[in-house]
Amino acid sequence: MKSKILKYFFVAGLGLTMIFFSCTKLDETVYTELIAEQFNPTESDVASVMGPIYSNLRNVVSGWAGLYDVIEESSDAIVTPVRPNGWDDGGMYRRMHKHTWTPEEYHTSALWTRLYRGVTHANRALYMIETGTLPIATNKENYIAEIKTARAFYYYLLLDNFGNVPIVTQFDVEEGFLPAQNTRKQVYDFVESEIKANIELLSDVNDATTYGRFNKWAAYTILAKIYLNAEVYTGTPQWAACLDACNKVIASGKYQLEPVYSDLFKTNNEGSTETIFAVPYDDIYGDWLHWHMKTLHPLNQSTYDLQESPWGGSCAIPQFINTYNSKDKRLAQTWISGQQFSSGGDSLFCNMGADKMGLPLNFINFVQSADYSAEDEGYRMGKYEIKMGAKGMLSNDVPFFRLADVMMMKAECLLRTGDAGGAATIVSEIRARSFDNPADANVTGTQLQGNSAYAYGFVENGVITQPDHSGSIQYGRFLDELGWEFAAELHRRSDLIRFGVYTTKTWLSHRPNGAYRSLFPIPQDQLNNNTNLKQNDGY
Amino acid sequence: MKKNNLQNHRQKWSRCLSIALITVFMLSCNLYALAQAQKVTGKVTDAITSESLVGVSVYVKGTQNGTTTDIKGEFTLNDVNKGQILVFSFIGMKTTEIVVDARTTYEVAMQSEATGLDEVVVIGYGTQRKGDVTSSISTVKSDNFLKGQVKDAGQLIQGKVAGLSITTPSGNPSDQTQIMLRGITTLSGSTQPLILIDGIEGTLTSVAPEDIESIDVLKDGSAAAIYGTRGTNGVILISTKKVKGDMPATLEYSTYISMQAIARQADFLTAEDYRRLITEGKPLNDYGASTNWLDEVTRNPFSQMHNLSLKGGTLNSNYIATANYNVAQGLFEKSYDDRLNTRLEVNHGMFDGLIKLNAGIIGDYNKNFNIYPYRQALIRNPTDAVQDENGDWVEHPGVFQYENPVAWNEETLGENTSQTLRIHGSILVEPVQGLRFKILGSTNRYNYMTGYSETKKHISNVRDGKNGFASRSAAAALDNLLEMTCEYNKTFGKSAFTVLGGYSYNDQIGENFYEDNFDFPTDAFSYNNMGTGSALLRGDANMSSYKSSSTLIGFFGRVNYNYAEKYLLMASVRQEGSSKFGENNQWGTFPALSAGWRISKESFLEGVKVIDDLKIRAGYGVTGTEPSSPYMSLTRLMYSGYVLVNGEWVPQILPASNPNPDLKWEKKQEMNFGLDFSIYKGRVTGNIDYYIRTTKDMLWEYQVPSPPNLYPTIIANVGEMENKGLEAMISVIPVKTNDFQWTASVSYSGNKNKLVSLSNDLYQASNDWFEAGYTGDPIQQSTHRVQIGNPIGDFYGVKSIDIDENGEWIIEGADGQPKSINDKVEEDKQVLGNGLPKHYLGFNNTFRYKNFDLNMTMRGAFGFQILNFQRMFYENPTINIRYNVLSSAYDKVYGKEVLDYTQEYVSYYIEDGDYWKIDNVTLGYTLKDNTISFLKNARVYFSCLNMATFTGYSGIDPEVNRMGLAPGNDERDKYPTTRSFSLGVNLTF
Repeated sequence: MKSKILKYFFVAGLGLTMIFFSCTKLDETVYTELIAEQFNPTESDVASVMGPIYSNLRNVVSGWAGLYDVIEESSDAIVTPVRPNGWDDGGMYRRMHKHTWTPEEYHTSALWTRLYRGVTHANRALYMIETGTLPIATNKENYIAEIKTARAFYYYLLLDNFGNVPIVTQFDVEEGFLPAQNTRKQVYDFVESEIKANIELLSDVNDATTYGRFNKWAAYTILAKIYLNAEVYTGTPQWAACLDACNKVIASGKYQLEPVYSDLFKTNNEGSTETIFAVPYDDIYGDWLHWHMKTLHPLNQSTYDLQESPWGGSCAIPQFINTYNSKDKRLAQTWISGQQFSSGGDSLFCNMGADKMGLPLNFINFVQSADYSAEDEGYRMGKYEIKMGAKGMLSNDVPFFRLADVMMMKAECLLRTGDAGGAATIVSEIRARSFDNPADANVTGTQLQGNSAYAYGFVENGVITQPDHSGSIQYGRFLDELGWEFAAELHRRSDLIRFGVYTTKTWLSHRPNGAYRSLFPIPQDQLNNNTNLKQNDGY
Repeated sequence: MKKNNLQNHRQKWSRCLSIALITVFMLSCNLYALAQAQKVTGKVTDAITSESLVGVSVYVKGTQNGTTTDIKGEFTLNDVNKGQILVFSFIGMKTTEIVVDARTTYEVAMQSEATGLDEVVVIGYGTQRKGDVTSSISTVKSDNFLKGQVKDAGQLIQGKVAGLSITTPSGNPSDQTQIMLRGITTLSGSTQPLILIDGIEGTLTSVAPEDIESIDVLKDGSAAAIYGTRGTNGVILISTKKVKGDMPATLEYSTYISMQAIARQADFLTAEDYRRLITEGKPLNDYGASTNWLDEVTRNPFSQMHNLSLKGGTLNSNYIATANYNVAQGLFEKSYDDRLNTRLEVNHGMFDGLIKLNAGIIGDYNKNFNIYPYRQALIRNPTDAVQDENGDWVEHPGVFQYENPVAWNEETLGENTSQTLRIHGSILVEPVQGLRFKILGSTNRYNYMTGYSETKKHISNVRDGKNGFASRSAAAALDNLLEMTCEYNKTFGKSAFTVLGGYSYNDQIGENFYEDNFDFPTDAFSYNNMGTGSALLRGDANMSSYKSSSTLIGFFGRVNYNYAEKYLLMASVRQEGSSKFGENNQWGTFPALSAGWRISKESFLEGVKVIDDLKIRAGYGVTGTEPSSPYMSLTRLMYSGYVLVNGEWVPQILPASNPNPDLKWEKKQEMNFGLDFSIYKGRVTGNIDYYIRTTKDMLWEYQVPSPPNLYPTIIANVGEMENKGLEAMISVIPVKTNDFQWTASVSYSGNKNKLVSLSNDLYQASNDWFEAGYTGDPIQQSTHRVQIGNPIGDFYGVKSIDIDENGEWIIEGADGQPKSINDKVEEDKQVLGNGLPKHYLGFNNTFRYKNFDLNMTMRGAFGFQILNFQRMFYENPTINIRYNVLSSAYDKVYGKEVLDYTQEYVSYYIEDGDYWKIDNVTLGYTLKDNTISFLKNARVYFSCLNMATFTGYSGIDPEVNRMGLAPGNDERDKYPTTRSFSLGVNLTF
């Protein structure tokens, strides 16, 4: 009996053993993501595949310590000083202001990675289209041209900020591939040739289909930008080429100046007649434009009925504010100043630092230093409309290129090539909308050739104690005009460099710290990870 | 022909079945076969105490003739033949066998099982005599467990196992203990030990602490390697209570009630302090009230536990059913953790022990909620009122991160529930003596659901205009296991061996869902009508879900061999595959080898009477660690974010990570050398272990260049870490008489950790360090540095050495010279201490006097530092304008000046953490024999947990987080630990 039972168990056991011993499969089932090998896109996926090339710009422009912070905080108009509620963060904002950033700096390392992420997204999309993984029946070459232009735009930003960067155009590289470094001149040439090679394949319309994308006129603006700064990038100026590119855009007739300056920056500014290339944002779909959070006092939550409490950090440098003409409407359209109220009209009172506790919250044009400032110090950046009831992010699009920008580039070319009068006409045309009295808007060529109104100098306890004596700035007034028109529009750094101010002048707590600071260092982690890279001179 | 065969089969099957049924019937009716022979009687006593033992199973070996001793310890058995063997078995006692001779009366003195060498140790897929063990395994029996209000199975053995650091850093009733074995061995892999409940993976809360018989811990690699990839962090084998042998239905009821109080309160300013400071000219706000905010949100929690267990059985069949209900209040108002654990297990043996069946169900139902308004209670101005004259909550919306903690409590509703149900069963077949086949299967299902809501009076609406907020989340997990093992043991002369082979298949599925919504028309629905909120329609609300699965397959084998119980050898290997790895690296091999030499069995020691046992052993084993999440080797694409195309926001698709198809196991190699000894007839026993564990191919988010990589990091196998340490455990019984016994044990462990490298062939480390730990807002600095050549846990920051006349820090510069903190540069930072204790010490004492027993558990950790976040944030008068601070904030720093500087991470806040805790004191009284007629046994005890702490540390509790890469950070929001007092009763009917 027992042996028979045994036999059955042996048979059953052996059977089970056979079944389970053969069960050694370790396949993975993925539920919530797609596996690349199994993803077969069709033409309807083109927008989804190309999408990251453009949407990545939101992160570039306004990510944490993004391009806005890199450009504005290292320049003479905006600062993030230490506040009673913090904003030291290991000194990262102060180092940007004082030009003491290091190759380990988060601001610049993040910028590098974000820019190259755009390049890699572009290379990947090109690879998918060119290999047929992403099949496109018609207009294939137009898509390719657009992607290459977008990639050239990323390289333009790399050229401007880091200079000597590797040019990578392949996606399917072998494992462990380390790109070789290129010179700033090579990067310049690459951007120029890529755009020239593709510009005729780009759309020449300006409507919803091209909004937030590169059409022919946005591509010409990139060209104008590199020509405008060609002397900085390559040592050889290209004023004529710049003028030519600007004229192409202006002559297209696709763009008109906004009659009201602030309309350019309002919540629903998409499709503005003046905007040539915008980075679109949305408080639901397109995060994360948070500049109002960074600049407003926490109490301003009640001013705009915000859904989150602002963080109370960055503000205008008083020396910059002092350059404004008091009749210039752009002062109030760009900066928030004076007594602050709740939406119900109640006055707000300081509540953070011992020095100002209980006093009215009145944003004053006074900042002790980058090393310490009270909660009410400094005008706040309010250029981009903060809609009532806004969230921690806004829906305003950031106009990256706009007609006034192209016109000012043209004016600068004229000014620098001897036509001061022609330049003044353009500048006056742009100024017209910002003054109630048209006469106040007019400038002359002589004025544009004059010095800047900016009282450069080192500030202690809010007072200029060491005025700057390094001499006047050629076309300094034109630089001021650029400052007023394009404050907080990611312009200031390259303008200061072109006008020879960025690494020579002193402002607030900033002192010049070497001409090599006009280029940012190659991030240390990139140097470590790619032995082909050499650090920029001076670092 | 075929048909005939089939019929034959069917007949045979039905015959087998009927025999089986009859057997079951016979067994359950207790119908024993009659025979003619003599009647024997006797009495069973405890060999040490000489007290009679009640309920001892007595049976004639090889028959079903058996009984149990009565309340006098006496038994009567009929029909016993001369030459037959009487078997006496009793829980906690060594099974005793006596050959029946001419006598009819037998006095049997049973020896306690805990005398050592014959004690059975659970080693994974089997058991072994303690004397034969060749690796480092610790066993803690239930008598030795911590008593009173314990959180989970981990706390039961706190301080009882050398090298196993178990901390209870949080007073939250829903938080589990932290377990770390032999140091930190990984950078980003799992640090959780493998917890097996009767051989099947579970958690520390799967079964109630009261339902646990013993806990075995496989410490070294040679012991744990049989569990392959899950063995690196140690294996904790939890054995639930079982029924042994013949036992009448026995009902046990145990209970305790418990009161808790906060162990140590942070000393913040009171309203009177505020008013005094205002008269001294400090610019503080006096809102006119006097409120003790901590009192407003806390209470002295009351908890209770009820455990009911019914067990019984015959020689061949037995059952145990347990229900455990634990209701724990949290320190904070409205917070609680209720748990119902149930277990039912049935065992049945058939055909003279040929087949043994086991089936069981383990259920765990948990409900908890915790709002945790601790930080706001600490920093709230004590002159502020809870409510205004209209009964509305007092709020100051403009003050950053400042919210009424009572309003939080009152305007929030929530509940987290979870259910775990495990069904398991096994069939064991022993066709011939020593050969056993076993099939074990289990399925474990886990369901979790939360609901949370904030009313319109909550700060989320008062300040942020949410107009009512609610969220729900759900999670489910399914875990299936199938295991087949075959074991054969045989003795040839002086040689004895056991061979084991097995196969294990385990698959897991996890899924979850989350949604939130706000802007509700009414507070009435709380989180029960999510669709009525408007935010989802506007696109402002969140919703997400995820699902993943993975498979783990293992083949394993083990050989145990001993010659004359003198030379001992163990070899094992596990070949294991995981779906989480790249196709080329799914399988890994995890071998182990250990050997022991029982010197005491050698002839030259035979004459030495003092030595009962002396054994040296050495082992080597390889274990692995899986990455925590699956799919990391695949090129995955995700939909993430939107892009504006022609006026429409279009979802975009992009790679989810840099894929690494070469991803493989993280491997740990461990050498272990040990010594076990027992002298003076077991009065002094102990063991000493030394280990070197090296982790290789560590999983880490490695930095890669960009371009050409899309993302700056890739998960790769890089780096090496080393841990070396010494462990010792010595138990002494200094006094042992019938009335009085004192048992003492000391455990020590010390560990040295070092990060050896962060590179492999493809990836060279960019820096030889990276930062870890974070102070949080507004200081925003990292607290630790992990550096090659240094141990994990180094605090890294600026060293404060003085204060200037302005109340600003003077720090030590990189050149060793003092400088103002305002001139601080990165190079000034230095190592400021280490958060991992170098030495752990435990000291346990048990006193038994007649019916009284007293247990005292003490433990300590030494040679480490703590970053006191509470001081770093709140021992600073500059923030007092907005927030309450510690009263020490106005003390002079270095005896010179009151601090006048923003909150900053400096060495001033790093303190020595050395401590010694009287952790658990339990006084019990056991009623024996027939004091109360209907009770078999009764015990009353009083217990105190976390009774006293001796430390120089100024924070609330020096027992802080030690896990991860930033150990020693005493977070400012750490849930305060409590002291608990419990009164308990155990009754056996």
